[in-house]
Amino acid sequence: MKILVCVKQVPDIERISVRNNPSGMPALEISGEFRLNYFDEFAVEEAVRIKERMARGRIDVITVGPDRAADVLKRPIGMGADAGIHLRTPTDADPGPAAVASWIAECARPREYRLILCGSMSEDGMNGQVGPMLAARLNLPYATQVIAITPASDPSMLSIQREIEGGIREMLEIRMPALLTLQPGINRPRYPSLSRLLRANRQGLETVSTEALEPAGASIDCLGLVAPEKRRASQVLTGSTREKAERLAAILEEKAFL
Amino acid sequence: MTESVDIMVIGICTDGRVHPETYDLIAFGRRLQAFRPGTLGVCILGQDVGAAAREVAHQGSVQVTAIECPGLSHYVSEPYGAVLAEEIAAAKPVFVCTAHTSQGWEWTPAVAARIGAGCICGVDGLTESQGRICFQKDVYGGKIKGLFASNTATTIISVQPGVFKFTPAPGASSGCVIRKNATCRSERTRYLGTSRAKADVSDITAAPILVAVGSGIGNQENIKLAHRLAGCLPKAAVAGTRIICDRGWLGYSRQVGVSGATVAPALYIACGISGASQHVMGMRGAGCVIAINSDPHAPIFNEADICIVEDITRFIPLIQDACVRRINNKDPRSGVPGSPREE
Ligand SMILES: Cc1cc2nc3c(=O)[nH]c(=O)nc-3n(C[C@H](O)[C@H](O)[C@H](O)COP(=O)(O)OP(=O)(O)OC[C@H]3O[C@@H](n4cnc5c(N)ncnc54)[C@H](O)[C@@H]3O)c2cc1C
Repeated sequence: MKILVCVKQVPDIERISVRNNPSGMPALEISGEFRLNYFDEFAVEEAVRIKERMARGRIDVITVGPDRAADVLKRPIGMGADAGIHLRTPTDADPGPAAVASWIAECARPREYRLILCGSMSEDGMNGQVGPMLAARLNLPYATQVIAITPASDPSMLSIQREIEGGIREMLEIRMPALLTLQPGINRPRYPSLSRLLRANRQGLETVSTEALEPAGASIDCLGLVAPEKRRASQVLTGSTREKAERLAAILEEKAFL
Repeated sequence: MTESVDIMVIGICTDGRVHPETYDLIAFGRRLQAFRPGTLGVCILGQDVGAAAREVAHQGSVQVTAIECPGLSHYVSEPYGAVLAEEIAAAKPVFVCTAHTSQGWEWTPAVAARIGAGCICGVDGLTESQGRICFQKDVYGGKIKGLFASNTATTIISVQPGVFKFTPAPGASSGCVIRKNATCRSERTRYLGTSRAKADVSDITAAPILVAVGSGIGNQENIKLAHRLAGCLPKAAVAGTRIICDRGWLGYSRQVGVSGATVAPALYIACGISGASQHVMGMRGAGCVIAINSDPHAPIFNEADICIVEDITRFIPLIQDACVRRINNKDPRSGVPGSPREE
């Protein structure tokens, strides 16, 4: 089975801070550390498990991004993917899901994958759009927020479960070639093996410049950032750690929670 | 014949029953009309949608296009998207709005890609900036929101449920229903029904106090800290975020959020939780929210009554201590609460 996994390099969200500009518009400070999108790790792991289950196959991982984004392909190769494809953008600017989907589609079409896996969204843009857009471009059946994949009685189909609201799952059968976006919890991603990581370092990645590809997609402009509004009074406790603990206990008692 | 509308709301119905988000979407559409005047119409598709369409037309005082699709008794991405893509391409609305649910979030990007429309998912606000209509949505885990504008003739938007509230206009005329038929086939995806995730959620939904832990707890061993804190608060239970449940540190029956349980305890103590919208959606109804997080920029602080910037692994033992002392002062015979109560 030939599988493609789409991954994204994202900044470490916990290390991002929000700065208030004199202009009044907040800005983000990204501390320069980038890593594999949390949601994508599950897609890589699932691909490796499917390959192991079938005892044969090939897994390609693909990413779209600037020069630095090539780094994000190493961990998946360390986990068991066979090769990495870097669709290199000329600048740091995020081209948006429509362009990303159209570039990946162009690259994937001639390679005829049986299964394409994505994470359910990226932590930075939080759009969850690349998967469904890519499926539409390649005219593949697709499902999002998938939490279980098992072989179906018909070998050309997969049995899947997708999460819907309130702890309920939809059960579906989907015909391959197909595209799925995966929810965390579908598996426990393994650690990359050292020997494979070293191989990933040596192994030449395939690089394609996106300038050579046609971006066919509607672009969305980001006109700025705004601070989220406070929904509650948000009293901030101050003082030493111990003082805060004492104050909180007093509040709990005042409010009759103790 | 296709009636032209400028703002097309995609109503949601299952088994002929209208989902309440449909009305929130009408409210959103009406807000949108203030920025971009034009006609608003609702479109509902599926099998046996006639009664649902009449209900929405009447309650919402709107024109409803009911697209009867025999065989589409349940939403499935492919046939649903195919019918909608055709309808939207023919009606050419400026905006198409649906709910940002597992369903809306699934079909909107694919239909947008098919018809060359712009797509913005998870919208929770609407403004005008630089002379353009801007849709606001979370980015970077909800630490900040972005304002997005589209360049395309048609833009498809999924709107966070519960943000825009519908109120019926007094004396508004009742709307009308236009009926259509569509054929749809689901050759490549077969719907086989639903199942409930293993455990029931009654435990955490009933507890008046929840100590909720997120990935900031660091490791499985530290979950004990949360159990100990819960142990000194009456009838408190331990809940968690998705990440905690995915790691198996708590059972899925304790997950709070869109894909877990919706809870409304009197007190919610969020420990090491970032406050992603999918989590917050499940706990917004809490009476009092206390958030403890080492990152002063964590979005959970926007949802909290009391904010404490601290490392939870150090802070929880101190707060537990302080609580135990107060309890013992009240009633010295009550023994030492707060012993681990792992369930
Ligand atoms: C379709 C879909 C459905 C989802 N459904 C749900 C759902 O139902 N419920 C849910 O919870 N999530 C859900 N999610 C996931 C959600 O988007 C977030 O990924 C998740 O809620 C984050 O969990 P977290 O807060 O534990 O972890 P993180 O986002 O990793 O946050 C951890 C926080 O802990 C803080 N921290 C770290 N160390 C410490 C320390 N020592 N002391 C104090 N603070 C510390 C950090 O600053 C950070 O803010 C869903 C996602 C998708 C795509």
